Formats: sequence, structure tokens, C-alpha cells
Amino acid sequence: MAAYIIRRLLLFVPMALGIVTVTFGLLLLIPGDPAAVLLGQEATPEGIASLRRALGLDDPWYLRLGGYIANLLQGDMGRSIFQNAPVSEIILGRLGATVELAVVALLMSVALGVFLGVVAAIRQGGVIDAAAMLFAQLGISMPVYWLALLLMLAFAVQLGWLPAIGRGEPLVEAFGLALIGNPAPLWESLTHIALPALSLALNSAAVISRLVRTSMLEVLNEDFIRTARAKGIRSRAVVWKHGLRNALLPVLSVIGLRFGALLGGAILTETIFAWPGLGQLTISAISQRDLPLIQGIVLTFAMIYALITLTVDLLYAAVDPRIRLK
Amino acid sequence: MTRKDLFASVAAAALTLFATNTALAQEALVIGTDVDAGTLDPRLARDTTAYRTINLIYAGLVHLTPTLEAVPDLAESWESPDPKTVVFKLREGLVFSDGSPLTAEDVVYTFTTITDPDFNAPQRALYTPIESVEAVDDLTVRFNLSTPYAPLLSYLDMGIVPSDYAEAGGDLALEPVGAGPMVLESWKRGSEIVLKASDSYWAGAPSTKAVDIRIVGDNSARAQAFEAGDLDVIQAPLSPNDIKRLAEDERFGAAIMAGLGVTYLNFNTADPMLNDPAMRQAFAMLVDQETIVNDIYQGVDEVANSVILPSSWAYDPDIKQPTFDLNGAVAKFNELGWSDSDGDGFLDKDGQTLAITLSTHSEDPNRVQSVEFLQAMMQQAGVDASVKISDWPSFSTGYVQQGQHQIALLGWLNIVDPDRMTYAQFTTGGSLNWGGYSNPEVDALLEAARTSLDQGERADAYQKAAAIIAEELPYYVISYQGYQMFFDKDKLGEIEANPRGTFRGLIGMPSAE
Amino acid sequence: MKKSLARRIGLPPVLRNASLLIGAALTLTIVGLAVFAPLVATHDLTQMDMTNRFSGPSAAHLLGTDNFGRDLWSRLVYGARISLSISLIAVTASALIGTVVGLVAGYFGGWVDMVLMRITDIFLGFPPLVLVLAIVAVMGPGLFNVALSLVVVSWTEYARVVRSTTLSLRERNYVQAAQALGASSPRILFREILPNSLGPITVLASLGLGTAIIWESALSFLGFGLPPPAPTWGWSLSYGTRFIRDEPWMSIISGAAIMVTVLGFNLLGDGLRDVLDPRRLTRGKG
Repeated sequence: MAAYIIRRLLLFVPMALGIVTVTFGLLLLIPGDPAAVLLGQEATPEGIASLRRALGLDDPWYLRLGGYIANLLQGDMGRSIFQNAPVSEIILGRLGATVELAVVALLMSVALGVFLGVVAAIRQGGVIDAAAMLFAQLGISMPVYWLALLLMLAFAVQLGWLPAIGRGEPLVEAFGLALIGNPAPLWESLTHIALPALSLALNSAAVISRLVRTSMLEVLNEDFIRTARAKGIRSRAVVWKHGLRNALLPVLSVIGLRFGALLGGAILTETIFAWPGLGQLTISAISQRDLPLIQGIVLTFAMIYALITLTVDLLYAAVDPRIRLK
Repeated sequence: MTRKDLFASVAAAALTLFATNTALAQEALVIGTDVDAGTLDPRLARDTTAYRTINLIYAGLVHLTPTLEAVPDLAESWESPDPKTVVFKLREGLVFSDGSPLTAEDVVYTFTTITDPDFNAPQRALYTPIESVEAVDDLTVRFNLSTPYAPLLSYLDMGIVPSDYAEAGGDLALEPVGAGPMVLESWKRGSEIVLKASDSYWAGAPSTKAVDIRIVGDNSARAQAFEAGDLDVIQAPLSPNDIKRLAEDERFGAAIMAGLGVTYLNFNTADPMLNDPAMRQAFAMLVDQETIVNDIYQGVDEVANSVILPSSWAYDPDIKQPTFDLNGAVAKFNELGWSDSDGDGFLDKDGQTLAITLSTHSEDPNRVQSVEFLQAMMQQAGVDASVKISDWPSFSTGYVQQGQHQIALLGWLNIVDPDRMTYAQFTTGGSLNWGGYSNPEVDALLEAARTSLDQGERADAYQKAAAIIAEELPYYVISYQGYQMFFDKDKLGEIEANPRGTFRGLIGMPSAE
Repeated sequence: MKKSLARRIGLPPVLRNASLLIGAALTLTIVGLAVFAPLVATHDLTQMDMTNRFSGPSAAHLLGTDNFGRDLWSRLVYGARISLSISLIAVTASALIGTVVGLVAGYFGGWVDMVLMRITDIFLGFPPLVLVLAIVAVMGPGLFNVALSLVVVSWTEYARVVRSTTLSLRERNYVQAAQALGASSPRILFREILPNSLGPITVLASLGLGTAIIWESALSFLGFGLPPPAPTWGWSLSYGTRFIRDEPWMSIISGAAIMVTVLGFNLLGDGLRDVLDPRRLTRGKG
């Protein structure tokens, strides 16, 4: 087990090197000069040349890539050109918001997905089943930015129920405050996260609901459920206690993949809802050609992705003894 | 609703805006903005949010009023013993927010660093005529210029930084220390900048206790957040349709006025297709300004007629660029030898099709629409026009600034003096002359306009230069940008808006006495 | 027994057969509109009428007009050509590359598998949007380049699925028999294993068609789409969305066009999944 984990973690090294190199190559080819963007439209050619020298942008590419990797091996992701602060600091300051959004969206999509899937499976063939599955299909068919703007328009602007943009206190802190008798920040945080999380969650909820429905139907058909039913155990108990537990197994692996998808999808959602996370940072870093920051963000996403897949594989092995880790 | 109606409906409000300034005392004011500040060091600032935030944290020698008049801020008075010298007298007892005194040395330090090439200040070019700055005594500072430089005063609202703090390694970019009406409380990068009232400003503490500047990148989302009550104030850039709707909404106060920017077409005069001024004139006649301004921009901007802003003392309404005339343009192309000889619907000459590439950047949907509209007009006239849209870095630094464009649509902002949008742009070899324009007469006029200290003489030179430019068309100015600010009327009462988008009027803190 | 097989299938009986039918019908309709665009379009694509913007559906304009007063219906049917071309190119190329990689990795195993899967990991580790934006920024926003950028982010899915089916097929008797008879590797791969992987590939591809359309619209929304005056759905939706507060028609209609098309592909994919093999396609794990 420990050997497996170490082996998997070691595999991340070539992956990270590959990702750094590919990103670096793309950034070399991409038109647009960070020094000129930094200095703005009124910059003089001499000013731009001077800043390029100062930033080391004129060094040959192999020196720059080599230097970057050497620093990276010492745990240094470099400094952001535009924010003039260490990349790792900037990313850490943003990571929490994105993870919070993705986790809440994941919980929402699992709750909604499992509920829809189970209901559809129980009422298999009925109108409810069809409606739930149609809803799921629509969830996958909508461009996420369109959905986000529609939700904002409906719930924030027209109805005025929820704030349109921004983030409250970090949820964990707000929860702590609520425990010591101050629930206002928690309410603030929840209302702020509702819309971005919902628009992010619908797509995953759709995927999960279809999967839950399928595996639920399989399980409901198996012998032990039939036996339980025959024994006269109340139908609802059978469904929730025996059926769901077994049906959730395959959902587990998908949840891991969905979390990755949610992190990726957050790029658009965060931009629209002004959610101060990594996604928003990604767009602005690209639009400024802030090379070290883009590198850092891409690497961070890759690390999260690797950790998620590892966690999912471990969990899967823990839950289902038939799978051996090799 | 036509543009005229739009202006009429807010005219009354605008008038009172200029007349009074009784912003209500606030606990906290939430202002929406489009980008995060890159730095809070005034010398390195390059984006609008940085300027506006810095304008609250720091104070400069002068303060620019909404009509761009330089009035005393940290300086009590100034005089020019000769055209190449300006002497400033500082107020007594000035202090920075960290309690240290602000003296002439700090002014010297601020401008010495800006003009140092290795400091890489984005606006260095504006200050290069400053040869040296010296402290005569603690309260007197002298600027020695290499040449008379009329626009100087417009640029001396630059925030003064504390030399001791900066030289001791203080990071002004992240932990600013200024002598302005507010201080930095917290800054969540990319999300919000929170300022609180300072008691160290010479004019006293502002009645507004805190300002919370929230970054919402998407213009529509920002307008929606304002309508939902999450923001107290929003301002340009905004979508024209949002501006229209907000201006009609009774709940909101509005300040709609002429801005300090232009939207223009940059003709690459070095391009073989465009090096003949007559060709540029023919292309210019295909620009339907009225439709672009009134339909695409829905009347929030104004049709332009020259490179001088209408609000400027140098403006002359009689200078005229070519106006929209599709048939006239075709006739002009025919005159120049371009005709559709092969019947493919496009004009050609010597076997070459009249093909042109229009370009702009993807971030501004109105510019993208304008270019798409221009393309359609050109196609109608028989020009094989194609469109290139790319994001700002690719478009500006990788394309237009390299002189690779043919006709590019972009803009200039912050034109506080006519010099700022003519000298570097049109003089031969000028640092912003991306289209390679050259006319010795224009060079001489712009040089004279910059070095004369007599406003009448300057205006005359600018008008002569503008008339030549309107005919030779290195630029075709499509519109003068409008400036709009919307605010929560109940919360703010009446405020003084500034076309530069600065916030001092919102906290009732104009430094003018 | 028949019933239990049916139950395993992913969709309710009301939709089970209907899913394939509706999906195929929608897809055929849209492909038909695209192919016969010159016949079904009612107006000139580029003819602007600035006095008649956002007109809403009427007798003169079936689906109303866009932000330049152009006929939205005509632009959407021509736009279908662009969207479908992008999806088709992107999906075909992704499926080809992914299948070859998956087949080779799964069949040969060992270090070949190791190397190919590490390369796959690199592409999976990227946030897809970043990769797509960077590639379009480097290559410029043409139809082919947009499609290519989508290939870069979507071939991995095929590679992983094909690899896992290949791994299981490799152990089957008929493959082992062919090997014993001395059949060459390419022959086994393309004659024995590939045909048996076609089911999951087809399903992935039909779902991928929808995903590609959504990607195209997101690229246009971010300003990285095809340049005007290309009548792409992405432009219509992103322009429409800018005016959604005051003129919701354009956004709703173009959004609906995208939604219905993607829905068609997804239903088709689901239907195919049932027909081709209901059990095999679990999301492949590398």
C-alpha cells in the first residue's frame, strides 16, 4: 500500500516536468510581450527593452526553462510579473476559494444527482423518471456561462434573493463563528456561494444522476434485494439501505473525475460571479501573459488532478476488495 | 430612445453634480471596478484601478478638477520664474500616513526615480523633459526642464512617495504609504481593495469611513451586481445597453459626461495599400460614424471630428475628417485606379484585389462589433475586408505596436492634455507612432505646441496640426468616449464625478479649497 | 430475462427506444439544415439592417434578427455548418489519435504502455480551458485551429477507454489463438481488437460532438472564436448574452440552438450505448 502510494507520487514527477515543458513551449510561441503589456500603451520601445532585460525575458529559452525547473526543484515557483509577489503566495491565497467552490458544487451535484437518480430508478418508466432524465440531459447540454448568467439574472437581479457576485467569509471560518453563536457570516457565505456553486454543479449532477440510476436499477434487480423485499422489509428501507449503498460504488470513481472537471469548469464560473479563486486568476494571468503565474497555476491544477486520481484509486480499492493495487 | 433624450434625461442631474458636492457621510462605500490594481506604487501604476486607488492613498503636488484644472493639493502654490523652471511651495506640516513628515526631499525622490530609465516606470515618457528636481529647502522644490514643457502641470498629480520608507526597503507596491485621504486596510488580490479614512491628510479626514473597491471583470455582471444592490457605485467601462437602462432607472443617480478618451482607427501609413493619403481618405469615407456611435455604442459616445477632444481648450469644431459616403468612397477608389475589372465583386488594380485587414482586440465587444460593421460596409463598397480579432497582448504588443497592422481599431485614454495624444503618436519616429506617419510640418507644429507656455499659441498650433491630420489621416477618430458613473442615490446623495473616474468626489474629499 | 437486460440499460423505457430515435431525428434534422443551408436560409447572411436590430420572431424573420439586424434563422443554419465541421474534425481526429494510442498501449503493454500513458497523463493534468486558449492564441482563431485545440484536450479520453478495452480483449481466446497462429501485431490490432472497440468509440464520439459545440461557444464567449463575419453559434450566443437584459430573444434562440443540438448528440450517444453494448462502457481508468 505505502509502496503503491510512493510509486504513484513518483510518477507525478515526469508528468509535472512534461507539463512545465509543454506550458513553457506554448508561452514561448504565444504572441504578446509581458513587458509591453506591463508598461501599457504609452510605453516607449526603449522602456520595453529595458524592462525585458530586467525580467530576463531576453535570455535564451533553454536558460530560462532550466532556471525555472531548477528553482522549482527547490520549491520556488518564481515571482509574478504583474503582481510582483511570489507565485506560490498568490496561488495559496486563491486556492481556498476555488476548492471551497468545487467542494460545495460537488456536494450539491452529488446530492442532486443521487436524489434524481434514485427517484428515477424507483419510478422507473414513469413520468418522473423521464422528467428526471430529461433534466439530466439538459444539464449536460447547456453552455455553463450561459446558465450562469441566466441564474444570476433570475435569482440576483429579478428576484433579488441572492447576491450576484463575490464571496463572503471563507465557509470554514464562517462555520466556526456560527458555532460560537454568530450565524450571520455563515448565512452571508452560503448566499454568496449558492449561485456559482449551482451553475457549476448542474452539469455534474446530470452525469451523476444517470450513473446512479443505472447502477441503482442493477442493484434493485439483484437477489438480495428481492429477498429483502420478499421478507417484507418496507420498500423505502430496502431502497435506501441496501440499494443505494451498493449503487454508490461506481459513483465513487466518477466523483473523483467530476471534482477535476469542477475545478476546470470553475474558470468560467468564477469569472462571471467574480469569485476570487484560481479560475479568475487563470484568465487574468493569460490576458497579461504573466508567464511565471500561468506556469504556477497550470502546475497547481496538475498537482490537484494527480492527488484526486490517487485518492479515488485508493478509496476504490478500500471499498471494493476485488480491486488490487499493483 | 435617442442619444439626445438620454443626455436630456440626465442633464439636470449632471448640472447639480457639477454645482454641488455634498456626498453623504458613509460607513463604507462599495465601488465596482473592472480590473485589479497591478501595484499601489504611484510611480509604477499602469491600470485605471491602480490610478484611482492611488489617488485616494496618495496625494500629488496638484489635484486635477473635473475640468482638468490643476489646483493645489500638497503644493500650496507654484510659479515659473522662467519657461524652463517651475518652483513649488509645499504646505506646512504635511505628513504621510505612517506619521513621518513629507518634505521637498520626498518630491525629489519621487520624480528622480520616475525619470530613471532603470526604474522602468510606465509613464516615464511623460516626465522625460524634467532634467532635474531639487529641494531648495524643506518646503520648496524646483523642477528644472530641458525644454519648456507646457503639459507638465497636468502630470504632476503623481502621488508623492515617502523616500525614507522606500529607501529602507518598504514595498510601496503592496504596503503603500501616502499622504492622501485614505490608507490601505486590506487587499485581496483580484477580489477587493479595502481602504479606510486617514487622519493624516492635510485637508482633514474624509467623512466616509471606508471604501471597498470590488473587482468584477465582466461589464454585464458588474452592472447586474450594482442593480442587485451589491455595489454602491459603478462606472465606465460599461455595456451601452446597461448604461441606457441604468440611466432611466429612478433608483440610481447618474453622472454622464464627456470622457477623456477616443476610439480611433490606426492606419498603417507604411503599408503599401495605405501609404497614399488619398487611399486612407477613401477608406475613411467607409466609416459610418453615426451608426457606430448611435447604434453600437447607443449614443453613450460622441461622433468625433478631429484628434482634439471637444472639452479641450484647443478644440475647433471646424476641423473635419472625411464623413461617411459609400458612393463617394467607391468613386475615389475608381479615381485611384481601382475598379472591379474581373467582375468578382471586389475592386482590383493591376491584377491585385483591394484587400484589407481590420483588427481589434477581443476584450471589448463594442469594438468587435464596430469592426464587424466596418467590414460589412467595406464589403459593400467592393473592398475585400477581413477581420482579425485577438486578445489584447497579441493585438497590441504583438501586432499594432510592431507596425504589422493595416487598419486597427483601438483607443486612447486619459488625454488630460492634447499633447498626450499627439506628440508621441504623430511626430516622425515618435515612440507611439506605430503606423510610421511622418510630416515635417506636423512635427514642427507639435513641438511648438508642447514648448509654448501660451495657451492661445498652443491651441493654434494644435488646430493646425489637427487639420493636417484630419486630411492625411494617420488616425481616423471615430468617437469621443463618454464617461458614465452610476451610484446609489439614497446612500450617496449628490457627488462630484470626475471624467477620469477618480474617487475623491465620492468621499467628499476634493482637495480644492 | 429480456426484461432484466432492458433494465440494465441507462434510460427509462419511455425514452429507451425513443432516446435513439429522438437523438437520431434531431441530429439528422440539424445535419440536414446545415447541408441544405443555402436552400433553407431565407436571407443574405451578411446583409445588415441597423434600423431593425433584435426584432424578435416575425413573418419577415422566422427567428428574428441579431445585433446587426441580420436574419438569425439564416445565420443559425449556416452556423450549423461551422459548428458541425468543428465538432466533426475535432471528434474524428481525437478518436483516431486516441484509438491508435490506446490500441498500441494496451496491446504491447510494458514500457510502450508506460510511456504512452505518461504522455496521456500530461495532457489530462492540464486544465483543458488553459490548453485550448493557449493553442488558439498561438495558432490564431481559424476553424481548423479551433478544432485542433479541441483535439488536444479530448484525445485522451479515447486513449484511456480504448486501452482498457484492449487490455481485456488481449486476454480473450480468439486473440490468443490468432497470436498462436502467427498473425502479425497490426493484423491482430486492426482485425481482431479494433472492431470490438468500435462500440465505446462510437458512443464517446457522439457525446464528444456535443461537447465540441459547447467548447466552440465558450471560446467565442471569451473572444477566441472564429473571426467575424463567420456566423458561428458561439458569436450569436455571446453577442446575445451581452444584450440579454433588454433583448433576450437572440440569446435564448441561439442558446436553444446549441442546447437542442447537443441534446440530439447526447441522446444519440445514449441510444447507441444501449444498442452497441450496454455493459462495457464504464469510464476507463488508466
